[in-house]
Amino acid sequence: MSDSWQSSNIKPLTEWVNLQQPPTYSEYCQHGGYQGAKHAVLEHTPNEVLEIVKNSGLKGRGGAGFPTGMKWSFVPMFAEDDENAPGNKYLVANADEMEPGTFKDRLLLEGIPHQLVEAMIIAGYTIGANKAYIFLRGEYHLAAKRLQQAIDEAYQENWLGEKIQGSKYSLDLYVHCSAGRYICGEETALINALEGKRANPRAKPPFPQVVGLFGKPTIVNNVETLSNLPHILKNGIEWFQAIAPNSDAGSKIYGACGRVKTPGLWELPMGPTLREVLFDYAGGMQDGLNFRGLLPGGASTDFLVAEHLDTPMDYDSIAKVGSRLGTGGLIVLDDKNCPVAMVLNLMRFFAQESCGWCTPCRDGTPWAVEVLTRIEHGKGSIEDLDTLAKLCDFMWIGKTHCALAPGAVEPLRSALKYFHDDFLQHIEQGCCRYDPESSAKRTQVATAGRAVS
Amino acid sequence: MSVSNKNSVTIFIDDQPYQVSTEDNLLAGVLSQKLNLPYFCWHPSMGSVGACRQCAVTQFQDENDQRGRLVMACTTPVTDGMRISIKNAHASEFREQVIAAMMTNHPHDCPVCAEGGECHLQDMTVMTGHSAREYQGTKRTFTNQYLGELVGHEMNRCITCYRCTRFYNDYAGGKDFGVYGSKNQVYFGRQTDGALESEFSGNLVEVCPTGVFTNKAFSAHYTRKWDLQSAPSVCSHCSVGCNLSIGERYGSVRRVMNRYNPELNGYFLCDRGRFGIGYVNGEQRLRKVKGISQQSPVQLSTLDIAKALSHFRLKNFIGIGSARASLEANFYLKNIVGNRNFSVGYNDCEMQAAAQHAQLMQLGRTPNLAEIETSDFILIVGEDITQTAARMALSVRQALRNAAIAKASSIGIPSWQDSAVRTIGGTLLSPLFSLNSTKTKLDDVAEQALLMPVERMSLCLQALEKLLSLGSKETVEKHINQHFLQEPFLQEQLSTSEQHFVIAVYQGLCRANKPMLVSGTSLVNAELLESIAKLMLSFKQDNGITEPGLIITPPCSNSVGALSLLDEHSLSIEQVLTKLSEQVDKEKSLKLQGVIILEQELAKCSENQIQQLRALAETLIVLDHSENRLTKLADIVLPVAAVSEGDGHYVNYQGRAQKFTQVHPPVLPIQESWRWLDNIADILGVKVSVEGTSVEPLRENDKLDASVNIKVNTITKNSSCQSLLQLHQFFAQHYPSWPELIADIDSESNDRATARMSHRASGRTSQMANISVHESKTTQKSDDDFRFSMEGASIRQTSNMPFAWAPGWNSNQAIGQYQEHINGPLIQHSQANFIAISADLANNTHWQLVNKVASDSDKIGYSESVPNSLSYVQQQSIYFSEWQAALTPEFKMLKQSNQLFISNVTAEKTGVKSRQWCKVVFSATNEQKQLVSQTVIGQVMVLANLPPSLVFGNFPLCQSLTYQLEMKITAAEAQEKTDHLSQFNDDVLAAKASKEAVLERLKENDQTIPIRLVSGGLNDA
Repeated sequence: MSDSWQSSNIKPLTEWVNLQQPPTYSEYCQHGGYQGAKHAVLEHTPNEVLEIVKNSGLKGRGGAGFPTGMKWSFVPMFAEDDENAPGNKYLVANADEMEPGTFKDRLLLEGIPHQLVEAMIIAGYTIGANKAYIFLRGEYHLAAKRLQQAIDEAYQENWLGEKIQGSKYSLDLYVHCSAGRYICGEETALINALEGKRANPRAKPPFPQVVGLFGKPTIVNNVETLSNLPHILKNGIEWFQAIAPNSDAGSKIYGACGRVKTPGLWELPMGPTLREVLFDYAGGMQDGLNFRGLLPGGASTDFLVAEHLDTPMDYDSIAKVGSRLGTGGLIVLDDKNCPVAMVLNLMRFFAQESCGWCTPCRDGTPWAVEVLTRIEHGKGSIEDLDTLAKLCDFMWIGKTHCALAPGAVEPLRSALKYFHDDFLQHIEQGCCRYDPESSAKRTQVATAGRAVS
Repeated sequence: MSVSNKNSVTIFIDDQPYQVSTEDNLLAGVLSQKLNLPYFCWHPSMGSVGACRQCAVTQFQDENDQRGRLVMACTTPVTDGMRISIKNAHASEFREQVIAAMMTNHPHDCPVCAEGGECHLQDMTVMTGHSAREYQGTKRTFTNQYLGELVGHEMNRCITCYRCTRFYNDYAGGKDFGVYGSKNQVYFGRQTDGALESEFSGNLVEVCPTGVFTNKAFSAHYTRKWDLQSAPSVCSHCSVGCNLSIGERYGSVRRVMNRYNPELNGYFLCDRGRFGIGYVNGEQRLRKVKGISQQSPVQLSTLDIAKALSHFRLKNFIGIGSARASLEANFYLKNIVGNRNFSVGYNDCEMQAAAQHAQLMQLGRTPNLAEIETSDFILIVGEDITQTAARMALSVRQALRNAAIAKASSIGIPSWQDSAVRTIGGTLLSPLFSLNSTKTKLDDVAEQALLMPVERMSLCLQALEKLLSLGSKETVEKHINQHFLQEPFLQEQLSTSEQHFVIAVYQGLCRANKPMLVSGTSLVNAELLESIAKLMLSFKQDNGITEPGLIITPPCSNSVGALSLLDEHSLSIEQVLTKLSEQVDKEKSLKLQGVIILEQELAKCSENQIQQLRALAETLIVLDHSENRLTKLADIVLPVAAVSEGDGHYVNYQGRAQKFTQVHPPVLPIQESWRWLDNIADILGVKVSVEGTSVEPLRENDKLDASVNIKVNTITKNSSCQSLLQLHQFFAQHYPSWPELIADIDSESNDRATARMSHRASGRTSQMANISVHESKTTQKSDDDFRFSMEGASIRQTSNMPFAWAPGWNSNQAIGQYQEHINGPLIQHSQANFIAISADLANNTHWQLVNKVASDSDKIGYSESVPNSLSYVQQQSIYFSEWQAALTPEFKMLKQSNQLFISNVTAEKTGVKSRQWCKVVFSATNEQKQLVSQTVIGQVMVLANLPPSLVFGNFPLCQSLTYQLEMKITAAEAQEKTDHLSQFNDDVLAAKASKEAVLERLKENDQTIPIRLVSGGLNDA
């Protein structure tokens, strides 16, 4: 991984990241670690911390961009002497990073695990949770090991366990390794999985803030979101808001993958333009390739093309041009790769990862795969484009049980808009003009995979 | 159509105003208006989960909003003034797409699918307008599972609506079924092949919107729904009285489907009710008359009977009725033989229990199943209702969810949001307490479930009664807090766990708003019932605790009907034998000519007693539908109609008299019991007490019963009863007690009879096309509310629907079109008819308990509690505990090898381990004070919470083995185990062979259809 993320000025989250040897407890403390937690637990009431987080303007970094403080404020608060209070709430870090093209949380989990532990103490203290879980992507073996080391150290130093640092607050923290489903990124599916049930998203209401894990109020936050907390508590609201004066508050880890010169991750003040991230940080396209388009925040966001490159990468600006900031990880498409094949590849992923609960997602995504496969093979017809358009509408927001299918639709519907000519070409010429042989190979796997059980 | 509901509001559907209740969701509201809106995952009694997305409608902000947004009707609450559109293009196109997407994997194998023609998926597909297939890909396929003899599995048809698992696991508490896989490869089934363990597995057939789960027996001898001849019926297998729709074709019963009754079974049946109908077609059926010579080679006539019985003219018989024969047949028998010669086949123990039961019935109205489902506290004592009244156990399970529903409601989630309520509820359940002698399938949801012999149950109830009579609940609570477990009556008599149980029950009762107490007569223990009676009376005191609804479940479909006919002169079997032996040498005129036994197998009688009965009865006349030990011994055997072949009434556990209607005429000489009795009455006459009637007897033969001063006339009838209605009129004319039993004797009779067949039934010309294309005449029947025809009044006109069907709704879910509102009463519904149970039986001191226990200490046989002696209790079984259902070959194939449950203390003492094969020798002193013993080879199961004085198992123990029972357990020899298992395997193979033989015969019979021109008595042939 490139070291280019270190080239930015203010990068509180990643400043002390060390992927070779993450900071130990004492190293982390030397860099100002656990100061935020100390402020929170020893100097503030939970309500004061909640106000700080609310006023900081921190928004969820998992993709939806919901204000974190507001999310927390839905948790019913109990008086300290309320017998319902202890053990009656849960905090969960959503570390099930399975969005294709996204690997920002991995950097934090592997490179600075103590930061997440500290963050969870702050969040747990604020909402009054005495038990917390890190729901970790199953494939993140190294992160699991390093997190457990950090947790063990934190227990030794009384940052976890009974009466943290002499306060009245106690917290137990567990790492739970996921069995591996994309849908577990959806917080209620995650909760079901954590309870040992099928990972289907739950009906809402009730929202997990009120009825969550094991029926108790539960907050699920993304790893990156949580990681901001120690710094906000340590440095204050003004500092946090000053990081990105013209945009959403704070910094954000942006990333890029695809055929760019230097794929990687960069923590930047909120709101660099797509062009800056793509050309200044990712180094632009590899030699001999031209930019076609990109998915701005992981696989489940709409394509953006050249005309959008000057859009700032914050929640509102990206939404205005018809996509989502998502995770902030660019997936870049060049002019030598087939957009149809790319969309097919993504759709296959979503069809595979559908939980199977609601009809549009369960039966719609495989249908889209079937149509896209035929088009990619040069066996499509012009009516198939109508079918795809209909399927996009069929799986759109409001028609499905959760956001997976609408997310799956986003790259497809935008591809149909921006790469219409490519779809037409496949249909009219009966082949893929990019690399017919390799594309045929790729899709063969899919066809073979369909004849199952 | 408007709903008269205080919570109804006006909503606009496609700009038309409708009155819709806010208590249910929008989909239920729309369907309540009889508007068509397709759905799959929603079920009227299982609520909404929003999985299938089929019921989408467009909701508008206000009248200016032209665009609207799509909402799923099933997850949308009804609000005042809301505006929605069903017809709106966006919504209807989306609904079509949903079907199109589901159909991408559906195999379109409708011609070979048992669901064809009554498939909810077909109906909904047509409803959405989806008619052309666009998907060009391959379909996913699955491997099916063997789910036992009752339910078939064809997973390729699955559209993944999740209803099966929501019913089986969530609603019915099944553990051996589930959801596997993900994406479009979701699999519904078991972990491995094997028979489904739930008592409610058959409901999968109706719950599944397509043909994934099918009724195996129906599929094996299949006909389309539209070719079935159906009639409204009542289950003949337990005392709940679930309403059924039985379907027949070509003279054989094909299947049982649920018939909606909102107060009893709702939408669901148990497997005994659904599949136990197999006995009607079985090999064991009696099809010939025995002991009556026939003049005509073609058929038996009433003259033949008259001739055969003529020498019995006005002679005295003892009549033994039964709890499975219709109310009419029992009543008729009682009045042919006279009440002093009438028995319902109960032994002394059962009579004593019946006397208590009759008294308990005086305490107030018995709650129905719908009321049980609203309960917030349930105590079950001494009855495994999961096996003996399974449908009730399903209702109890629903009641336990009330705590979760209340919690959900407190945060604004309505009860119909099923998945949300289950998320909120988690493991929270309303309290269920259970005292039983065997472990039951409700133990997993009970707050406390104790196992104990029946005597200890009485002690626990007595302790509870004492707590209740201590005063107001505040006083007692204080008492419990201060002197917890200090009460002598608690400490001396009860173990610690029993004390905790009693106090927990008391505290639960204090908090309960709608408590229920459920018990039954399976343990045949009058003392237990008496303890319940005393307990119930203690609620009458002003102690601030709500009196529980009391439910007593007897074993049979007409047990309460039989109870209603018992009076202080009724006889027990022991008394019958005594009376017969006493009369043997007496003067001829008073001599008892013999015994008439009505649909009674006398299962509780020992072989000894049966032989005695045979020896003492000069003439033994047996009326039954199936072979049993009595039919082999009888002089005259008259084959009677099974439930689907005749008309009559059963009285359920509440005292609710329900009519079952003839589905198809039986093949003569089989006829309904009451017709046989009518033939017999023509000869023997009918006894009428003088005060009881103002009707001038036609021919008198007055006799004075020597022992009492009531004059009893024996009258002869002037004509035979041609129909049930005529029989009722005859009864009403002579017996003032009859109209009280069946109040509205001709409520349904009108000149617009309803068709038993669907209007699509394959034409009569084609029915026998293999024989002749001549159109046969339809069977005629007098005073019939239904016709053996496809012509007749629409089922819309009747409260007793022979089957459910509505335009566009071919599946059983058509019922929604006939409900006042979803889950409400039927639009055409008649009032339930409850019969009064008299406590006369208890007037007979012989059956009074009070003095019995104290004075009879030296007499052995029943009631006494013998401390520290061993009790064996046979586990009840949904398949085998009811005699008729147990005749079904499919059930016989579900037989299990012997199992005996013993306590860990006993296991340690005898050195046996759980699951070990053992030889168990039971020994006891019998009625004649002789030592008797029985040896059982079986697997021993060790239970930690079982008292050492109690053992239970799945095998019967000889009737005589009750007093001072002892048990010796040793490890079984390998050969003994092999012998037992090979016997067991032989039984299962025999059952399988019998199943195949029945099927072969039925298919043969289809080629020679019996057509009766008139369905009536023998002379109507």
